[in-house]
Amino acid sequence: MIYPEPTNIWESIQYSPMGLSIAESLWAFPMIETVHVMALVTVIGTILVMDLRMLGKASTNQAVTQVSADTLKWTWLGFVVAAITGTLLFISKASSYMINPYFLTKMGLFVVVGLNMLYFHFVTYKTVDQWDSSASPPQAVKTAAIISLLIWIVIVFCGRAIGFTLGIYY
Amino acid sequence: MHLAMRQVPDWGNSCLMFDLIFDFLFSITDWLRTTVLLDFAFWITETSLSLFMVTNFWMVPIAQVFHILAIGAAFGATLMFTLRVHGKAATDLSLEQVAGRYVPWIWYGLLVIVLSGLLMITAEPIRNMVNAVFWIKMLVLLVTVFLSLGFIKSVRTKAAASGAAWAASSGAKTTSILLIVLWLFIMLCGRWIAYVPV
Repeated sequence: MIYPEPTNIWESIQYSPMGLSIAESLWAFPMIETVHVMALVTVIGTILVMDLRMLGKASTNQAVTQVSADTLKWTWLGFVVAAITGTLLFISKASSYMINPYFLTKMGLFVVVGLNMLYFHFVTYKTVDQWDSSASPPQAVKTAAIISLLIWIVIVFCGRAIGFTLGIYY
Repeated sequence: MHLAMRQVPDWGNSCLMFDLIFDFLFSITDWLRTTVLLDFAFWITETSLSLFMVTNFWMVPIAQVFHILAIGAAFGATLMFTLRVHGKAATDLSLEQVAGRYVPWIWYGLLVIVLSGLLMITAEPIRNMVNAVFWIKMLVLLVTVFLSLGFIKSVRTKAAASGAAWAASSGAKTTSILLIVLWLFIMLCGRWIAYVPV
């Protein structure tokens, strides 16, 4: 196959041996995407459990720290696998992703959801002793859960939107 | 523009295992094309719901978002229940309490999965119904639903009878892992419906 000489970093990534191998293979992209889906539903499913506890809507017979201990390792495992597979999908069509508004929005939302998590962990969570077993945690906890749920839903939407719009932007 | 020849490893296109699987799936799809399913699929494309789904660009992606979120809810609940069966989560609660928390999420999640899935079939009936992977997925989904029903009922009954001393049998542990594997296989089929030739 003949490919154009890369003119920027994204094209260099896309036309690298690994990028081309994934793009040219009949099964690599769908297979990586399948693992991406398996990982992301694990992230969504376990975050939903934690956020509903933070909202006081479910698992209220368990301490917040207990629900966190049960779910968080699975959330992180899922996230790491989704990030690795997502990166592999990205490098196969890097320049198309980099001009796709839904991809760029999705990356921006990861920053927002990460900041929300950091603020919750380092500020709000400091007082967890006071509301660990509370069936209805303080407003700051509920707000963090609402922000998390809403942004993750929009992230899923952006992920699907990318699949329907990749290649229509130039 | 400069053009350059680039060396690309060709392992991607010459995977014998995938060739054999594709050939097998395609032979089933070829047979499906000779059945009444083809006429039925074409009939669906002319319904007003199908036309509504395909003429509005965002309907299919939005149906898929509901599908994925519901899979997250149901699979996450299945995962937490499985972890409790293995004594790896929520050990401060009885199995019955954990079942009460998560089992409704499995079934309501499944309801949303089925409804959003029906919308997706209506939008693209030929790609779905004249497709071997779709029917394999439906078959495995059916097995998973009935196995889940039986497994959850049996494990709840045994746990209730044994009280606080209850610990899952190795058979129950194996079945719970099998259910996770079946869910993952269903997701595999779900993604491949879009990629196998029809």
